[in-house]
Amino acid sequence: MSPSNPKLPLFEDADETVAAIHQGDVDAVVVMRSLEGPRVILLHGAEEPYRVLVESMSDGALTMGPDGVILYVNDRLCEQTGYPSTHLVGSDLTSLFEGQPPALVPEVTAEAKLLRNDSNAMPVAVWSRPISIGGTTATLVRLVDLSIHRRAEQIATAERFARSVLEQSTEAVVVLSPDGHITHTSGPAARLAQRSPIGRVFSEAFPLEARNTDEPETLALARFSTDSLNTMLATKPFHGVEVKLRGDDKSTFLLSAGPLVDENKTNVGSIVTLTDISERKRAEEQQTTLVAELNHRVKNILAIVQSVAAQTLRSSGSLENFAGAFAGRLKALAIAHDILTETRWIGIGLSELLAAVLAPYRAPGGTRISISGPPILLPARAVVPLSMVLNEMTTNAAKYGALSTPSGTVEITWQMTGDGEKSVDLVWVERGGPRVKAAAPTGFGTKLIDHVIRHDLDGNTRIEFDPAGVRWTIAFPVSGLAGDRGAAAAALAIA
Amino acid sequence: MSEPDGYNLRLYVAGQTPKSIAAIANLKKICEQHLPGRYKIEIIDLMKDPALAGRHQIVAIPTLIRQLPEPLKRIIGDLSNTEKVLVGLDIQPN
Repeated sequence: MSPSNPKLPLFEDADETVAAIHQGDVDAVVVMRSLEGPRVILLHGAEEPYRVLVESMSDGALTMGPDGVILYVNDRLCEQTGYPSTHLVGSDLTSLFEGQPPALVPEVTAEAKLLRNDSNAMPVAVWSRPISIGGTTATLVRLVDLSIHRRAEQIATAERFARSVLEQSTEAVVVLSPDGHITHTSGPAARLAQRSPIGRVFSEAFPLEARNTDEPETLALARFSTDSLNTMLATKPFHGVEVKLRGDDKSTFLLSAGPLVDENKTNVGSIVTLTDISERKRAEEQQTTLVAELNHRVKNILAIVQSVAAQTLRSSGSLENFAGAFAGRLKALAIAHDILTETRWIGIGLSELLAAVLAPYRAPGGTRISISGPPILLPARAVVPLSMVLNEMTTNAAKYGALSTPSGTVEITWQMTGDGEKSVDLVWVERGGPRVKAAAPTGFGTKLIDHVIRHDLDGNTRIEFDPAGVRWTIAFPVSGLAGDRGAAAAALAIA
Repeated sequence: MSEPDGYNLRLYVAGQTPKSIAAIANLKKICEQHLPGRYKIEIIDLMKDPALAGRHQIVAIPTLIRQLPEPLKRIIGDLSNTEKVLVGLDIQPN
């Protein structure tokens, strides 16, 4: 290299090269090959394993000199930064990072933001270790791309979240792949399927039967073949179609399906829900029945009211008489309906019904009216007619009989008779009222009592005009009181 | 970094062989000390692209080429001998 050397430059270089190799100043040579072009041959030393390891490392790695200058970068770090090695080698380590560079503590991992050519910094974990290469003290710095790890963590978190939602779901939720195979299910869905549904196609795990073929969508569903059903559920949004599962007649489900899209809005499957609406269906059916029943009863009541009004008018000598009698009869109807409503149309005990009807005539602690007999539950159907009958008897007693005087008494007793079909024998005895004339004229009240007992309660009645007081004997069955609920109105119409 | 009277240097290395690493570290140190603000270093890794050896007929690695100022000069080795480098590059020591 001496300028005084008389040799031509090329030879001068060759000499120097040979001398350098001999002196161990170089550790690689370039061999020219005519066909393959130049090739680098490394003169192997003890550091070879380290060199190979770092060069082939899947994480970014660099070798840094003691002054913080980058001496080497591997291919992966070039990929991570987007810069060629010629750009990075020779620059300071600190220039690689956004903001505060990481403090390099040997074998301690720190997090930092690696600057990239596209100006999007990449989160990295930085790890370092001092090394010695051919007598040169250096530092190996490894940079692990955390964005991959973070993404994996995000995916894992999202997966855990989705699984948690599915596990907590109280409805049958099924996740389908685009080809209709089940990938996830909620607990209720897994229980609904006969055996483990994962990996099976929807129609196999949940064999459906369309419930109401009047609906066009349900009809379409019923027409679909098994294969096309799977495809349709996996691709087409579907809302609120009533279905049943084959082999389960008791339960009704609402089938809905919607697309499952990823963050790029790409369809990656579908979510199908089967909502058990059996209870709702039963409630709807019960409500329909109740409305029909209510409608029937209202009509029935109106018929009774109409009939009572007409008959009362016919038998009333004056408007005043009509008003009093009609109001009393309406009140008896009202009491009966109050009782039926309170007891939810189950019925009421006979003594309770008597107490309710006679309440206006019974002073607290008074003894004018006595009621005694065994407990008897009157069926709902008997409540209205019996209430009307008792009202007529009470009204008669108040107008003409024992309850028209301060000292009169009424004694009501009953007993059950019969072995198979039970009957009630009720006796109403008045005492202490005005002296009763034999064969008193029978008014509308008496007719009503007789007709209602005969037609509505399938029983019979007898009236005895004892001079000391009227005595009614009424007998009617309590176990066979079924039949047309409109009978009370019919009986009143006949009266 | 390079000025009209600056030094345009090119260092040929082979990945991170010990001599290559040492050469980069030594060159950076010498330039900072003796040519502050008057140099430009280009490091060529022939492991990545051996064909680049052809331009300056590189045979041994590491090799430093002084492209500017002319004439072209060449120093082979890890540049650990600072005096030899200064002489080879015609640099007056600071």
